[in-house]
Amino acid sequence: MTIAAGDRSLAQANANGLTIARIGLRELRSGLKGFKIFIACIALGVAVIASVGALADALSAGFARQGRTILGGDMTFSRMHVRATGEEHAVLERLGALSETVTLRTMARRLDGGDQALIELKGADIFYPLVGAVEIEPPVSAGGSASFKDAIAGGGAVADRMLLERLGLKVGDKFRIGEAEFEVKATLKSEPDGVADRLTYGPRVFLSQDELERTGLIKPGTLVKWRYAVQSRDGAPVGKADLKAQRESILKALPESGFTTLDRHDPSPQITRTLERLRQFLILIGLASLLVGGVGVANAVTTFIDKRIKVIATLRSVGASGFEIMGIFFVQVFVVAALGVAIGLVAGIAVPWIIDCFYGAALPIRAEFSVSALSLAVAAAYGLLIAMIFALWPLGRAEHVKASVLFRESIQPITGWPRPSVLGLIGLMIAALLAIAVMGSEPKSLALYIAAGLTVMLIVFAGLGRAVTLAARRLPRFRRPELAIAMRNLGAPDGLTNSVVLSLGTGLSLLVAVALAHASLVNELQGRLPERSPDYFLLEVPKTEFGALSAHVQQMAPGSELTQAPMLRGRLVKLKNQPVEDIKAPPEAQWVLNGDRGLTYTNEVPEGSKVVSGNWWPANYAGPPLVSFEADLAKKLGLVIGDTVTVNVLGRNVEATIANLREVKWESLAINFVMVFSPNTLQASPHNLLATIRLPKGTTPASEIALVRELGKSFPSVSAIRVRDAIDQFNKIFEKIMTAVRVAGSVTLAAGALVLAGALATAQRRRIVEAVILKTLGATRRQILTAHAIEYAFLAALAALVATALGAIAAWLAVSRLMDITFTFSWGTVAAILGLAAFLIALFGGFGTWAILRAPAVPYLRSE
Amino acid sequence: MTAEILSLKSVDLTLTSRAGPVEILRGVSLDIAKGKAVAIVGPSGSGKTSLLMIMAGLERQTRGSVIVAGRDITRLSEDQLARLRGSEVGIVFQSFHLVPTMTALENVALPMELAGEAQAFERARELLGEVGLAARVDHFPAELSGGEQQRVAIARALSRRPAIILADEPTGNLDGKTGRQVIDILFRMRERTGATLVLVTHDDKLAEATERIVRMADGRIVSDTFTGVKPMIAAR
Repeated sequence: MTIAAGDRSLAQANANGLTIARIGLRELRSGLKGFKIFIACIALGVAVIASVGALADALSAGFARQGRTILGGDMTFSRMHVRATGEEHAVLERLGALSETVTLRTMARRLDGGDQALIELKGADIFYPLVGAVEIEPPVSAGGSASFKDAIAGGGAVADRMLLERLGLKVGDKFRIGEAEFEVKATLKSEPDGVADRLTYGPRVFLSQDELERTGLIKPGTLVKWRYAVQSRDGAPVGKADLKAQRESILKALPESGFTTLDRHDPSPQITRTLERLRQFLILIGLASLLVGGVGVANAVTTFIDKRIKVIATLRSVGASGFEIMGIFFVQVFVVAALGVAIGLVAGIAVPWIIDCFYGAALPIRAEFSVSALSLAVAAAYGLLIAMIFALWPLGRAEHVKASVLFRESIQPITGWPRPSVLGLIGLMIAALLAIAVMGSEPKSLALYIAAGLTVMLIVFAGLGRAVTLAARRLPRFRRPELAIAMRNLGAPDGLTNSVVLSLGTGLSLLVAVALAHASLVNELQGRLPERSPDYFLLEVPKTEFGALSAHVQQMAPGSELTQAPMLRGRLVKLKNQPVEDIKAPPEAQWVLNGDRGLTYTNEVPEGSKVVSGNWWPANYAGPPLVSFEADLAKKLGLVIGDTVTVNVLGRNVEATIANLREVKWESLAINFVMVFSPNTLQASPHNLLATIRLPKGTTPASEIALVRELGKSFPSVSAIRVRDAIDQFNKIFEKIMTAVRVAGSVTLAAGALVLAGALATAQRRRIVEAVILKTLGATRRQILTAHAIEYAFLAALAALVATALGAIAAWLAVSRLMDITFTFSWGTVAAILGLAAFLIALFGGFGTWAILRAPAVPYLRSE
Repeated sequence: MTAEILSLKSVDLTLTSRAGPVEILRGVSLDIAKGKAVAIVGPSGSGKTSLLMIMAGLERQTRGSVIVAGRDITRLSEDQLARLRGSEVGIVFQSFHLVPTMTALENVALPMELAGEAQAFERARELLGEVGLAARVDHFPAELSGGEQQRVAIARALSRRPAIILADEPTGNLDGKTGRQVIDILFRMRERTGATLVLVTHDDKLAEATERIVRMADGRIVSDTFTGVKPMIAAR
């Protein structure tokens, strides 16, 4: 009986639901008028999120599919300084075919000594590359053999075209590397495993490994990277878990090897991580633009409901309940939101394709077009949730309309709160939105910080709008009619104040935050450098030659300052006796555990460092190995004085005890290291020195070039890196990332502009009527124009000022707390943004006012 | 002989519509003496409201001349027209046309503020008291009934003591009783200020309460009758 009754009520509810949906859809016949801004706001935000997701998917798919080529095999094992021993070779060969390459950074010189350039040199064995092909041009011999292997045989070299341009060489010319001469046999078109290498400063040059020996550069202690690529045997399992197990088995078999290993499933963890970070960050910015667009949604739905008051009253009069009325309008708003989401998704999917068409070459790898359902689902969920969160409030108030309004001439705006169940639903949707944002973000706290920031921002601007409205109503009346009209408009209960302040303010805040964070970063990178930084880094200075080199520099550029430090590279293998593979470090400290690090030893506290706890070792310390660790990283890795760290250097594991912690000013660009050892730990190992030169003030570019050229001749193994060039190289990459961030940030302002345009368009008819009445009462066009100008200028100035303050606080928090660098306030940036605000408001407000002043009076005055 | 405050000579108004040009007014000539109350009557579409709009300078005639308070308004710019209306003409609309974002008091004070009158709000308060709305000064139009809104509109039209009051169907949107109250107020206040009243109406009874009835049909004046009544008494 109960069940039957339940079934009936369910059937009734279903029938009811269908009826509501049917009536709602029928109501949509009136078209999408008034919903264009709504649709645009949602479509814009969804498009940003979907396109970021789709682009990241395309790059990941490219990475996954090309992983083997990018890596140059199924797995790689690499380490600094020390070539694999015969035993290690044998162990690696068990996995499959093996190819050995060696890379180092050195100088290439013209034979006449006229010019030189830093190069990234790679020595290949006869098996290289195991996967993919090195493409070269032109064909090597008249016989038509275009083989890469032929090109690097017999004193030949394959060089990037950029090197030929820098040194003024052509194919067939000879040049010098180290102590040997080589002939450019071909130029390099593409290198299959180029991406897997770290940040490069110079053009690539390929030699055969046998020929590389002739340069005399490969000596114990030289910073060379030996890399072993493995191609699994046919039929061997190459799944993610299989390769991981195989890599681990090798490390277990060779516990002292100190190999860094990778496999085809993640050929460059650094790029993967960077892409993932960028994706998360851009999605959060897209979310911000959706939130700003939400204001447009709320405005559109409020206007929509206001225009339908008579319809709602009619529905009421024919027996519709409050719930049914909400349902009918919910269906309509949902359909509109879904349309916006669909448009956004289509645009989002198209963006990676467009980027690939125009900028494909600039991407780190070839993008492959396979958009994941998850990316699209996330974008769609964000779009629908935000649309409904902002629409539900005005929708929920629709049920307050009474049938009695049908009998009244004028209609008052709907006021009051929606019923508790609607408020609960809004709360649930906000929670769902937050959950999706937090789930997709690493670290989780980032999403929470940004969500908190956005909430504060929305509350501040909503509150500000309200405060302005109230203050304008309470202010004493102004004598000047223009001012009085402007103040009344500002204080009008359903005026433009709230919409303008909220839409302009939120958009500008985000832009200010992004711009100031950018300005601080740029300032950090460039602004301080000229004061303190060296002009050149010299790599691979033999210990025995530093004195001669120093004398040489002093002779050519008297007054130069030289510093030096022993330089080895090694990999952290254990912290407190725990293998680093088992340690879950916070993301900002993970880099220390990945790959190899520079190591040094000294008796003195290095320049730019300060011991913050523990004691420095005495000058002739001869006890067990000690190490000084960088304080901030030690804290993040959970290391304290007395803990042990184990590094693999030159093929052996060295365990040292942490004697003290140092604070390091990295930005000084003085020679500095995360780990500095007591001299007795490393000084017996073969190694070279890293040196810096600071040229005296007023050194001309010509004498600088002459000095470097002379050093190149006298010290052929030494490589000179111009600090400015290295920073420029970094800046180029940084600029590309910032462009992406800026584009995403501008989208937020575009969303703000849409909301602004929507709010002004909604108010336009009322403003025209008002202006017409003012004209009939004797107001001149100048007076109306002035009143509008005062109103808009006040709102724009207020929104921009508060946005500057909020944006600066957000940037300060991000820069000083998250990025740990000095915050710089840039007046130029802020001025540019205030100018943008003025331009936007003048554009929209001016256009609106122009239309208002042009509108003929009669149609608005005649009774309908 | 009384001076003419409104003088229209051979006024034509032709508007273009999708179907072609439409002649709204054809050769209308009309002189109205200062201080008189004149009703313009006629069926819908006869051109009454258009004639009123032309007198207010809100619509430009296609041909002919219009003199308002001694000034040829055909030569005035938009802004000069606005100033003329501000000082000489008060308009009452059928649909009231109050500024929705302003209170009753602010609506009434508005023309005086625009003209830079120092005591705008004090006078507005007085006027609202005269039309019986002393208790509603801080209400927004949406919070007032139709009759109340029209009374605010009358107070506003008279606030600058204009020489001419143009009223377009002022009772058209009101019920009979409220309409009579509003007309009573309008006539009373007009008489006190001595302003000229041009009243467009459908209501023959109301028209008969004025001193002169101009009847229109098809864009032309078809009759012009002097009733000889004293408007104030007749309105009662």
